[in-house]
Amino acid sequence: MLRIRHETVYRYDEPVLQSVQSLRVTPRREHRQRTLSWQLAAPGRRSEQLDAHGNIAQLLTIDEPHQEIRIVVSGLVDVPDDGPLIVERGPIAPLAYLMATPLTGANAELTALAARCWSGSAATRTELEALAAAVCNAVKYRPGTTTVTDTAASALQRGEGVCQDQAHVFLAACRSSGVPARYVSGYLLSGDDGDIASHAWVDAWLERPGVWLGIDVTHQSTAGARHCRLAVGRDYLDAAPVRGVRRGGGRETLEVRVLVAAENSQQ
Amino acid sequence: MCAAAYDEMLDTTGGARAHCVRYFSWLRAQPAELLARKRAEADALFHRVGVTFAVYGEEAGTERLIPFDIVPRVIPTEEWQLLAAGLQQRVRALNAFLGDMYHDQDILRAGRIPSELLLCNAQYRPEMQGIDVPGGIYAHIAGIDVVRADGAFYVLEDNLRVPSGVSYMLENRKMMMRLFPELFRHQAIASVEHYPDGLLENLKSVAPQGVVDPVVMLLTPGAHNSAYFEHAFLAQQMGIELVEGQDLFVRDDFLFARTTRGPQRVDVLYRRIDDDFLDPLAFRSDSMLGVPGLLTVYRSGHVTVANAIGTGIADDKSVYPYVPEMIRFYLGEEPLIANVPTWVLRNAADREHVLAHLAELVVKEVHGAGGYGMLIGPAASAAQIEDFRRRIIANPERYIAQPTLALSTSPTFCSQGLAPRHIDLRPFVLSGREITIVPGGLTRVALREGSLVVNSSQGGGTKDTWVLES
Repeated sequence: MLRIRHETVYRYDEPVLQSVQSLRVTPRREHRQRTLSWQLAAPGRRSEQLDAHGNIAQLLTIDEPHQEIRIVVSGLVDVPDDGPLIVERGPIAPLAYLMATPLTGANAELTALAARCWSGSAATRTELEALAAAVCNAVKYRPGTTTVTDTAASALQRGEGVCQDQAHVFLAACRSSGVPARYVSGYLLSGDDGDIASHAWVDAWLERPGVWLGIDVTHQSTAGARHCRLAVGRDYLDAAPVRGVRRGGGRETLEVRVLVAAENSQQ
Repeated sequence: MCAAAYDEMLDTTGGARAHCVRYFSWLRAQPAELLARKRAEADALFHRVGVTFAVYGEEAGTERLIPFDIVPRVIPTEEWQLLAAGLQQRVRALNAFLGDMYHDQDILRAGRIPSELLLCNAQYRPEMQGIDVPGGIYAHIAGIDVVRADGAFYVLEDNLRVPSGVSYMLENRKMMMRLFPELFRHQAIASVEHYPDGLLENLKSVAPQGVVDPVVMLLTPGAHNSAYFEHAFLAQQMGIELVEGQDLFVRDDFLFARTTRGPQRVDVLYRRIDDDFLDPLAFRSDSMLGVPGLLTVYRSGHVTVANAIGTGIADDKSVYPYVPEMIRFYLGEEPLIANVPTWVLRNAADREHVLAHLAELVVKEVHGAGGYGMLIGPAASAAQIEDFRRRIIANPERYIAQPTLALSTSPTFCSQGLAPRHIDLRPFVLSGREITIVPGGLTRVALREGSLVVNSSQGGGTKDTWVLES
């Protein structure tokens, strides 16, 4: 069981007249994870709905002048250790996750990266794990080396990046060779590795038997009982925990604190 | 090319066709200097009204007049009835297809259209999946481009995103009535003036369920847009607010406009902005033209967006070849108006044929519009053809090809006098509680001799379109 607390604070140099934010910070309702409790605290007005990818999304609007937005979510999620397969196909046909996005466009290098790992047309679990290793080898994990608008191609060229970049590179490589894959945003129980608690990984489509396979590219392994899934999408922009626009405010500083701890499920 | 084409007004001997006898004998009786004066008058009036069109690809900010030809295109009653029935049928099928595409996707499961063509298409908007729109209507306003070639009508293209041009239909009629009022006394010509009323009724009829007396507003990207004149014109004609993104905001799952009397709830948004720019939280995050949170309100069913988001999947040029199949699949009918035969260059066999016949064919970019990115084989130089060959080989999925159609002509005033010029027709089909079509549409004319490109962005002009009443 995972005890999670995620705090996001935006501070602005000048008053913001209006903010609208789209939040995806509530665990997905999926067979493989059970949310036992979940609280969201944030200023302004809020409405909630399921988005097209089946993510739980809140729209947050603040109409009064403000210089800070603090969003805190916390709760307890049970993720049984029953393997990396996601049985729900999702509301969008898997084939639609074959479409490249501006962040996941393939070039010759990305296509070649994938081609080296495949033997047949439909991907196998072993091949996808090999691709994860190849991606990590080509794009070394290094915190603080990215901006949200970085594309898969530029991350590959740079040769380093964060989990988001590695996920995008993996997606671009998969899609270029005909394997549908989607971006996953969520939390990771990482032990000592505190800065990766807010994490990104991927789902790749296994044509046989027709399920999504969760792959933590950064850790070159399948995603399992240490992963809590918040949102999926075609890329970061679909699944980002917070996506917002504002009027006014000047310079912005962002502070994110995420704590993920294992909790004994016997109690 | 001109000599072989069917002329809408004159038969092969140069005499007027039966439905044009009255008009043509009048025209021949007019002194040349009177017609010249009327043409100059029309130009001056259009300039004063400000009916202009920004032309892309020329100097930035260039605005110019779309040339207006004083010779109308005349359509006999029976021919229009046939056309109208065909257009209604087509738009019913296109709306059914969009509803299916964004729900159960039966047509894919039935294998009638390749899944990959639709799901891996930039025009498919996953954001629309599962949204129930009022009346199942997605393309509330459809501009269907129709041409006549070898005697038969064909649909050349469906415009289901933000079709424009209807203001020219209305202004052209106003101009003709002003220049030649006597013509409208001579014979019964179906009126088009009520189009804005019909449009407003249509938009109100698709308001969210339970809304009484819905508020409709027109969302424009602003004065720099090439069709801004039309946005302002239609809003004024319908008596509704013309707003920009910054005038609108989202609160508690509803859409509001800032007005001098405080926030006003908006029930139907007639948007003239592309999908990409509608909501920076869902689509292009750098867009300043839209309304943050609009998609959320839309998914909640608290606002109707007209046309719906994602209609591009039905008018994409690579999907166009399958529209006849949609008519069969959803309506169980045979198409009343045919498609132009089309080769899809992602298919190897089609590609081979097209590459071997480039000099005879028209090649279009799948995502191009306005006559940009197009090869007209018979009119192209060897270098242009080779350039397209390279482009097709590099990205075949980006192109389709069609035979070069001998578009029908209509007599048109040119520098050397009256001469045949190629034309097309864009009628506007309104879908709401019912489907209605104002008799007529926008007739575009390729002013250069022999040219087949009627787009105003490529130097085309327009004509008044008469549908005769029996």
